[in-house]
Amino acid sequence: MSSDPWIWIGAFLTLMIFSFLYKDNPFYKFGEHLFVGVANGYYIVFYWQNSLRPNLFEPLGAGEFIYVVPLLLGLMYFTRFIPKISWLVRIPIGFMIGWGAGLSIPAYFQAEVLRQLEGTVVAPTSFSNPTSGVWSLFILIGVICTLIYFFFSKEHKGVLGHTSRLGIIFIMIGFGASFGYTVMARVSLLIGRVQFLLGPWLGLID
Amino acid sequence: MKWYERITKIDRRIIYLLLTSLVILPFFVKVTIPQNIMPQTKRLFDFIESIPPNDKAVMISFDYTPQTQPECHPMAKALLRHCFSRGIPVIGLSYDPQAPGLALDAITSIAQEFDSLAAINDDSFDYGVDYVYLGWKSGRIAAQLDMGEEIVGVYPRDYFGNVIDSFPLMNKVRNYKNVAIVVIISSADYPLDWIRYPQTRYGVNVGAGLTAVMAPKYYPFLQTGQMSGMMSGMKGAAEYEKLVFDHGYARTLGTAETGMNSQSMIHILIMIFIILGNVGYFFSRRGKKGKTGDIRE
Amino acid sequence: MKRKLPLAICFLMGIVMIVQFFIPHPVSLEFGSVIYRWVIVLTAFALVLAIGNLIRHHTYKISKRKEDWPYSIVTLAGMTGMAAIGLVWGVDPESLYQKIYLNVMAPLGATMFALLAYYMASAAYRAFRARSLEATLLLVSAFIVMIGFMPFGQYIHPRFPAFAEWVMQVPNMASQRGILLGVAFGSIATALKIILGIERSWLGGKE
Repeated sequence: MSSDPWIWIGAFLTLMIFSFLYKDNPFYKFGEHLFVGVANGYYIVFYWQNSLRPNLFEPLGAGEFIYVVPLLLGLMYFTRFIPKISWLVRIPIGFMIGWGAGLSIPAYFQAEVLRQLEGTVVAPTSFSNPTSGVWSLFILIGVICTLIYFFFSKEHKGVLGHTSRLGIIFIMIGFGASFGYTVMARVSLLIGRVQFLLGPWLGLID
Repeated sequence: MKWYERITKIDRRIIYLLLTSLVILPFFVKVTIPQNIMPQTKRLFDFIESIPPNDKAVMISFDYTPQTQPECHPMAKALLRHCFSRGIPVIGLSYDPQAPGLALDAITSIAQEFDSLAAINDDSFDYGVDYVYLGWKSGRIAAQLDMGEEIVGVYPRDYFGNVIDSFPLMNKVRNYKNVAIVVIISSADYPLDWIRYPQTRYGVNVGAGLTAVMAPKYYPFLQTGQMSGMMSGMKGAAEYEKLVFDHGYARTLGTAETGMNSQSMIHILIMIFIILGNVGYFFSRRGKKGKTGDIRE
Repeated sequence: MKRKLPLAICFLMGIVMIVQFFIPHPVSLEFGSVIYRWVIVLTAFALVLAIGNLIRHHTYKISKRKEDWPYSIVTLAGMTGMAAIGLVWGVDPESLYQKIYLNVMAPLGATMFALLAYYMASAAYRAFRARSLEATLLLVSAFIVMIGFMPFGQYIHPRFPAFAEWVMQVPNMASQRGILLGVAFGSIATALKIILGIERSWLGGKE
């Protein structure tokens, strides 16, 4: 068994959260609320040390007065609490949303549209290996049918109905594979906690 | 109650107890089943193998949280062991606010291992020469794009407050031209940002170590070559540990490998429960059809 | 003015960032860097707002003695304590701040996620039924992946792992790519609508 008090604290907090499996209880509630509080305290220090101080207050202190602009924009966030001038909060929001939207359009096009379409197109060179050529065709059909399934502007009847049915088959296989991976992921998290309890705390395993 | 109704109504606490027992049992009853290596893990391993020593650096972005530590921490350690064994310099950084503590734990533990090995071989393994941890930066997209011009402009100081210009490694690695690959070990969609922004603009190679939940989503990027390899979940970590061990870069397998036996047992248990539930469901339907001549759900 | 000015700023920022992407000149890159640093600052201010909301919520609960109000004291004490420890004593690797992160915050967060394994097992047992062709396909695909990627899969059939990998690389990849393309097109359309002022829900309010 560990003699480190911090390990014991971690172990007891772990067991407090696990107690929820039996039913909701004060120990679980305590652990849950403590987590919310400590996590927020963590973020406060983190953002002060790594974000606000080096990127705003230090440059302002060094005489880079251009940083008054983001300071003013940031302070505008708090105008939402003053009804008369609460409309000013739209300015930093508009700045951020415009920046994000503008930055994302060319990036999404390049990385997620053009390159993915490039990977889907079947060319004669795809059949240099006959097997991979067949699978490339399979993938092309799968991508088109999946996209058609999500096209809801026209009723899924006739040719559209059949292709969207094929699309749902591909989607279900994909979701099933994702479920299989999800099982693996969730179980891994449980294994990690058990490894901690059996190892560093109880000393029963290496 | 008929048998087929009974098997669909097993108390959840029995399920929880069975699950817990089967997670714990493999830790005491050790069975070694050889891992099969997935192609995408081998691809990442081979890419790192192909990097010449003391040439370009590997940039590792530690972006996982304590919640996903069992999957991602072994990946980070195995990758660090691989790079350090091959003499490939490592630049670490983080964009998730919860990651730096875990990143430091991985880097310092593996670095200490190599430091003690270096002492035995009358060699040296130094911070600032062989590895650097730059720390966390907010505004990650901005930072990722700016590093394409100059890393020191984005990170004037490292995580410990040292001026990074004073490090020989950072004098050699000025921007992405001196980085062979960026490997993002993540429990969120951070690799997508690397593909969308720095890779699109600067052509940087991207690899990833992802939680199993996220892995299926990244197969399209593997197929197009936008990703140079990927470790998926605890299995991916176990595979990379095995590859590192088989190539003589580690003396023991890591924690992911020992967790795989528990994984296997739980997968079998969950499949049994799903089959039981479906058997009970189908027999119930048949029973109701027999009584009423009609299928009712 | 109250709506036109923010819309104009949104439009200007959107167009500027799109144009900036295509100009590799150092002035353009420097401009991008400056704007990026402003965004970092604004992100931090948004967090200040979020923390303020949390404090307001929990102090209200305590003052009005709402249900579970004592736990709100735990939340506020935890937040204040952690913030004070980090700001006063620093955040070095050996500091109390890091110890609390590793031994309080990390176990709590990790265990909450570990509970999901139990819920997933229970939910799969109760709800995962092969009621239709689609559900059966989902089930079969899940089983193939779960068996194929475990070490014992190769003992069921030597080619089982390769078959599981084929399921991931072909049909799964096709559907994931279709979804990825759909999401990308939707995101681009939404971003354009926001920049052009067609989508105005972010403005909120009546005036």
